[in-house]
Formats: sequence, C-alpha cells, structure tokens
Amino acid sequence: MLGCKGPARKPKSESTRRFRSFPLFDTLTLAAIPPEDDALRGKVRTLAQEAVADMSLAERSRSWSGFDAGFSRKLGEAGLLGLTLPTEYGGGGRGPFARFVVVEELLAAGAPVAAHWIADRQSAPLILNFGTEEQRQKYIPPICRGELLFCIGMSEPGSGSDLASVRTRAEKTEKGWLLNGQKIWTTNSMHSDYMIALVRTSGTSDDRHRGLSQIIVDLKAPGVDIRPITDLAGDAHFSEVFFDNVELAEDALIGEEGGGWQQVVAELAFERSGPERIYSSIVLFDAWLAHLRSVGRDDPATTALVGSFMAKLSALRAMSLACTGQLAAGESPVVEASVVKDLGTAFEQDLPLAIGDDLAAHPDEAVSEELQDALTYVTHIAPSFSLRGGTREILRGIIARGLGLR
Amino acid sequence: MTSEFLEPFEQMLGEVFAPSAVRAIEAGEGSAAAMQTVEQSGFLDALVAESEGGAGLSLADVAPLWMALGRHAVPVGIGEAMIERATGDNEAARRENATALLHAALIAGAAGKLLDMAVAYANERVQFGKLIGKQQALQQNLAVMAQDVVAVRLAVELAASKGWPETAQAAVAKSVAAEAAPRIANTAHAVFGAIGISAEHDLNLYTRALHRWRLAGGAETLWSRRLGEEVLASSQTAVDWTRSLWA
Repeated sequence: MLGCKGPARKPKSESTRRFRSFPLFDTLTLAAIPPEDDALRGKVRTLAQEAVADMSLAERSRSWSGFDAGFSRKLGEAGLLGLTLPTEYGGGGRGPFARFVVVEELLAAGAPVAAHWIADRQSAPLILNFGTEEQRQKYIPPICRGELLFCIGMSEPGSGSDLASVRTRAEKTEKGWLLNGQKIWTTNSMHSDYMIALVRTSGTSDDRHRGLSQIIVDLKAPGVDIRPITDLAGDAHFSEVFFDNVELAEDALIGEEGGGWQQVVAELAFERSGPERIYSSIVLFDAWLAHLRSVGRDDPATTALVGSFMAKLSALRAMSLACTGQLAAGESPVVEASVVKDLGTAFEQDLPLAIGDDLAAHPDEAVSEELQDALTYVTHIAPSFSLRGGTREILRGIIARGLGLR
Repeated sequence: MTSEFLEPFEQMLGEVFAPSAVRAIEAGEGSAAAMQTVEQSGFLDALVAESEGGAGLSLADVAPLWMALGRHAVPVGIGEAMIERATGDNEAARRENATALLHAALIAGAAGKLLDMAVAYANERVQFGKLIGKQQALQQNLAVMAQDVVAVRLAVELAASKGWPETAQAAVAKSVAAEAAPRIANTAHAVFGAIGISAEHDLNLYTRALHRWRLAGGAETLWSRRLGEEVLASSQTAVDWTRSLWA
C-alpha cells in the first residue's frame, strides 16, 4: 500500500482539488449513459432506418434540417419524444441521457427530425421550467406526441449576435398583447404551429437585457406573415416572419415579464450542448468510410486522416456526454456547452473539406454520384454550423468570460 | 480513491520538482536525490497489484497523478517507472499503449498549467492602456486554448477509464493530445510575448515539455494511423465504432 513505504502524506482536507484551477471546467467530467437509457437505441434505430430507407445520401446529409411531420408523430407514438419531460405531461420521465441516445441514433442515420426538433429540445423544457400549469397542460402533451411544432424567434434584421437589441415589441392591451415587428432566419416557421419569440415588452433597445420577455405566438393568428428564404443549397428551411398588429391572449407571455433574457440564456445551454453539435457531417463521414472500404484504400496517409477524425469524435462525444451529465444533474452548463459546440462545429466543418481534398487526390477512384452530391451539399452548408445557435465568435466570448477575462 | 492520493502527490512534486529543481535536472545536475524521495513515497508502485506489495490503483486513479507530473513539468520518468513496475517482460504492447496514455496525460497537465499562467498574465499585463486580456483578439485565442485543454483532459480521462488501454483507446488520447500540444504552446507564447522566450522565465519549462511529450513514442500521425487502420478494417459506422471502443 502507498504510505506503508514512506511519507505519502495524508490529505490535509476533504478537498478534492483537481489539477485544473478553473472550477467551471472541472465540472466537465466523464459521464456514462445509464443502461436503461442506452436500451432505447434499438427501437430508435429501427424507426430511423425505416424513415431513411428511400432517402438519398444528400437528403440524409440534411441531418436536423430534414422535415417529416409524419416521422415525428411516429417517434411520439413510440414514446421517443419528450424524454426529458415528466410523465404527467406525457413525457418519458427520463432525462438528458435518454434524449442523447435518441438524438445520436437519429442523426447517425440522417433521419428527418426537424419537425419536432425545437419543441422537443428547448420549447417544452422552457415551458416546463417557466410556464404556468395551464401552459404546461396545453402545450407539453401534444409536443410529446410529435403533434405540436415550435420554432424560435430570436434573430431580427438588426439583431443577429447582438440579441439584446431586438425591437419586435409586445404591448400590453386590455385583452392581452399586441405584437408588432419582424423576426428572420427562423428555422421551420412555415411548418410550425407556434413560435416562442424574444420580444421587448418595455423600454427601448437601449435598455438592452432589461424589458425583454418571451411570448408564445400562434403562427396562424391574423397579422402573421411568413415568407420562406431559400438558402445557398436551394433549400427553404428558414424564413422571415412579420407581425402586423397580432393580437395575442394574456397567457401568451411565458415566464416572467422582463425576465426573457435570463430565460433565453438558460435555454441556450439546452440548445448548445447536444450531440447535434458534433454530428452534422456524420452521414458524409460514414459514406466516405464506406467508400474507402469499398475501394480498399488503407495507405498510411488515409489511415492517419481517418484516425485523426475518429480520435476527435471520441473526445467530442465524451465532452458532449459530460455536458449531458451536467444537464442531468440540474446544472446549466453555459460555458461548457460553448466549448463543446465550438469544437464540435469545427469538427463538422473540417470533415467535408478533408474528404473533398482526399477524394480529389485520388482521381483514379470512382466516386458515386450520391457521395459527390452529399459532399457538395455539406461543403456548402457547413459555414452555417458555426452560425446557428450562437456564432463561433460569440461562443468564444462566453468562454473568455468563463476564464475571467471579461 | 483519486483525491486521496493526488494531494500528497502534488505536494511532493511541489517540493521535489520546483522550477529551479527542474532546471537543474535538465542541466544535467542529476536526479538521483529527487528520485529517491519519489521512491520512498511508494508512488512508483501505484499500479502494482496490492498482492504484490503495490497500491493496486487503476489507470483511472493514476491518470490524475500523471497529469500532476505534467503540471510540474517533471523531467524524469516517474510515470514510465510506474508502468514498468506493473508490466512484465512479455507485455510490450501493454506498456507501449499505457505510455502513450501517460504522454497524453503529461500534455494535459502541462497544458492546464499553461492556461492558468496565460490567463493570469493576460489579467496583469497592460498595453495600450488596458489589460491585454481585455483585447478581444486575445480573448478569442485564449478561449480556443481552453477548448484544447479541456478536450485533451477529457480524451485522457476517457482513455484511462477502461483499464489498461487497447491500442485504439490509447491512440485517441495521444492523437488528440499531440495534435493540440503545439497550438497550446504557441498560444501561451503569444500571450507572454518576448519574456516567455527568455530562458529564465518558467513558461518554457512547460512549452518545451509539451513538444517533448508530443513526439515521445510517436505523435499524432503515428497514433492516428493505428486508429485509422482499425477503423477501416471494421465495417462499423463511425458512431457505432466509437461506442463499441468505449463500451
């Protein structure tokens, strides 16, 4: 035994001081998926494989942009949505690890998850945390069934990264709220039932974080005008949303009036920490691995490239699971989630570039049209990975603040 | 288990391997006295089974000690000795994989120390009338450095979590650590400027160590290759292969 032989001193205190001196990163530590959550994998995989059976590689590469409301309802029926939510609201009563397993399987298959994506990931948890009992009863059960689709209204033409400058305004009226303004880059608003919008309920944009609130907007209400925007790959997954004197009931307010900023910050930890931040290029990665195996290429340069990405994947997955562990412990890993998202999106962005270069360096190999199409799509769309859900520069600012530099 | 041993171990390292002692050993003044203290502490038998008179610690228990060695830029083979004593003559592969994990852990420790030093310096050095840590360009670089530091530590913790690592498991830690090491060292030097280049500044104890441990026993290309060979020889998807590696 140590200590029997010599002066291995007894610990001076109960302190479990680690070698790192930044406590916020010490909380990010290995976490394992509980077996009962991992057991969901088979069921998800079967459904996912069914859903993608007729999809092309390029379609599957759309990852969480792929929209299929019918598939989302199937997941709901199978009890695979709302896993983090209590059973009394129709949820799975499990937790973030169960959701991790389901999301990992869906993304690895390239299944179309966009329909339920936002509601399952952040709208329902937000409503659970900040909503009234009535709001919970109204919205959460149909979200868990995959029937009620949500989008998030944050960006505006003049408010991108500077979110606190939003100008869309909800004014209190005798009957409720009167909404005027505009949101933009709102993913899937044209398919959604509701938007949870960050709006100003008092003051002006000079008041910054004060006077912001979150409002649930019925997108079928008169005065809401949604105009899809086509992206550089030819898809229209996001849009402009205009509000022209939209009348909303009193209970449209979610959470505290004026507490919108704090609510959004808590929500972003959910948004930024998930496996979706490492798997956006995973369908392409697998297609490339399949190509290498089929042509039998395993020279040292190729194996080194494959191994480098696989090593990163292991580390990133461990980091994402570590964040999931923090969520499961009821923490809000804002800084840690920023670390994982920035590293994860860099991995997602490096993959298509390296794969393109690799294939171009082997012109003698026949590359299927399908793989070529998927590669082109992911290459072109990849810059968006470090824009959506908080830009790289904003995330690095959050990390710098966590380091005590701001 | 871990914390019980980490604190006395770190305290011993602080006493035996102060920066001046590290310099002296690097200058060829010998390490016999230091090693004698370490030998007496019993820590060299950390990985030896209890039935054989060791401490019977697992690699998960020992990895934090290895990171502490990195944090002190320890210039002698304490981790190597731990591995040597716990492996037999016919266990070369086991030794090589564990040593790769050791070097990754040493990198993780020194990298954490460099981040501490760089952040502290950024919060005291003034240029253009303000702390350099208030400059956005520097903040962004330090944020990237922090990401690398966290990624390396998690890769090490992961590779140490399943007992003596298989080749592919050790390769994950060493590939990630070796690739990140020069970036971490370069950012640390960029923050400190010219003073970090001077011989008398302690910064270079850790940055030089990063480069040494990166190359020792093979750097990112060698270990990535070993990993990639196994991946391409299998028929599993990337996620399934990764999951089964850590199952």
